[in-house]
Amino acid sequence: MSAESGRLEDLPVDAVHLGAALFVLAVLLLYSPLFVQPPGGTFTVLEVVVLFLLYAMILVGLNLQFGHAGLVNFGPVAFFAVGGYTAAMVTAENPFGAVGLGLAWPVGIVAAVLAAAALGVVLGVSTLRLRDDFLAIVTLAVAEIIYDLIIAFRDYTGGSLGLNNVPRPIAGTTSAGDGAVLVSTIIVFGALAVLFYGVFRRLSASPYGRVLRAIRADEQVTETLGKRVFRYKLAVFVYGAAVAGLAGALLVFYNGAASAGFFTINVTVIVWIGMLIGGAGNDRGVIGGLAIIMGFQLFTRFLNDQIPFVTQDQFASLRLVLVGLLLMVIIKYRPEGIWGNADELGVDS
Amino acid sequence: MTLLAVEGVRRSFGSLVAVEGVSFGIEAGEIVGMIGPNGAGKTTTFNCISSVIDSDAGTVRFDGADVTGVPPYALARRGMVRTFQQTRELETVTVADNMLLAAPEHPGERAWHAIGRTSASAQREAAARERAMELLEVFDIAGMVEEYAGNLSGGQRKLLELARSLMLDPKLLMLDEPFAGVNPSLTDEIVGHIEALNDEGMTLLIIEHELETLTDLVDRLIVLADGEVLATGPPAEIMDNEEVIDAYLGG
Repeated sequence: MSAESGRLEDLPVDAVHLGAALFVLAVLLLYSPLFVQPPGGTFTVLEVVVLFLLYAMILVGLNLQFGHAGLVNFGPVAFFAVGGYTAAMVTAENPFGAVGLGLAWPVGIVAAVLAAAALGVVLGVSTLRLRDDFLAIVTLAVAEIIYDLIIAFRDYTGGSLGLNNVPRPIAGTTSAGDGAVLVSTIIVFGALAVLFYGVFRRLSASPYGRVLRAIRADEQVTETLGKRVFRYKLAVFVYGAAVAGLAGALLVFYNGAASAGFFTINVTVIVWIGMLIGGAGNDRGVIGGLAIIMGFQLFTRFLNDQIPFVTQDQFASLRLVLVGLLLMVIIKYRPEGIWGNADELGVDS
Repeated sequence: MTLLAVEGVRRSFGSLVAVEGVSFGIEAGEIVGMIGPNGAGKTTTFNCISSVIDSDAGTVRFDGADVTGVPPYALARRGMVRTFQQTRELETVTVADNMLLAAPEHPGERAWHAIGRTSASAQREAAARERAMELLEVFDIAGMVEEYAGNLSGGQRKLLELARSLMLDPKLLMLDEPFAGVNPSLTDEIVGHIEALNDEGMTLLIIEHELETLTDLVDRLIVLADGEVLATGPPAEIMDNEEVIDAYLGG
């Protein structure tokens, strides 16, 4: 790693310590009678921030997989969905027309992480020995299959109506209203996002990450230099799956419901575009890219309110066109992304 | 002592039999050259020995143990290290990281040490860096240490690949055409390095197409033709062998 990118990537505080400290503070805040009431009118923004923090957790895993190890995972939403629905089905109390075991939410978190990781192991073992493009196709297909299964098995998942009566652990700690819940949620999720950023950053900045980047460059050479390539690939695939599963569980515990609409291919598209815009392989850059793309979506949503003669649906399509154009501009003129390293990614810019 | 014993290795690709029952042995401390016309099965033999591809039949013994089918990473850890015909340095990785990557038994390559930032990892990294710099000095590419390997010249890449394989402290170093596409002065330099390594006790097996350089360098030649061992012996003897001359002249 060159000194220049080292400066860019290293926060003044270690993110693992920062995330852990923030998390302790967040829990203390939850159990204290204190709360923060955000100004009205900021709710839309804060809701997007909640999603941003969850997507950021998915993205740190995806960036380790693609940005460092070169694994093309086109289905991060599959693990997000499996985590979310597992958590919901394990913890929901008498959901209308769906499975709800009514267990405590920590059990739901553990089950969500295990289920997502298990899916990661199954997919990884079956496809990671194949060529790279197979993984891309399989993950893309699996994400769509899981979405279809959620809709089709409505007796278990609630289908398109969703799965309600899921506990809301953070909401349960305050009676100060939705605004206070939003702020508390952001603090907790923010702490977790920083923590996971820190953990994955330590992986990527260590000799471990060096092996991953070698695998991206040339698997066979890496293997003949004494590295168990398949094991590394499987490990980063499963780590990313587990964290995405956790993010899915956090989402349903925030919403108090699981709904298929939260687990569409849009999630995959947003985190991928965020990663490509920010610069795959640059751990902070990808988060910046995600902020840019989600900020863009938020901004255009406000813009929509100012233009009376375009319906929301039409505007959503136009926004997709703009996102696509943005991606094309990036790939054409700056293929390494805003903060990416062209030498490391092997692209000409 | 026989370091490497290859017995009846066979490999076909579809209906094409690339290697048909190749057997030979290499004694510890030897430099052995493997020659043969294009398509004789030299690289396939290499790939089978190093498990980069599976062989259909045959056994490979290395350093007193049967290593047939042992995966490449495990062979590298046992001390059998190879290079590839096309220089395959990791272009998107710096010279320093190319070298450090090859450092064996690095605890920092395990997730737990990486996340915990253990002192064991830091110590190994420091030791590996020291060794890497020594080797880069020897191979005269220390000035390029922070450069991405993709920005090196062809000759520097060859040297980097050789230096990198030495990070593993190989017992047997298998070089696939180390002089291909290399200018004469660099060829002499690489020959010098190989001789120095051999003087320190390293065993080498070298595939080469160009005979002149090889015959001066090696103790013994193995001649492959049509997937079989045609002859083996000291270079002078091989050069007078009628069969070998025929094979090379396409007779």
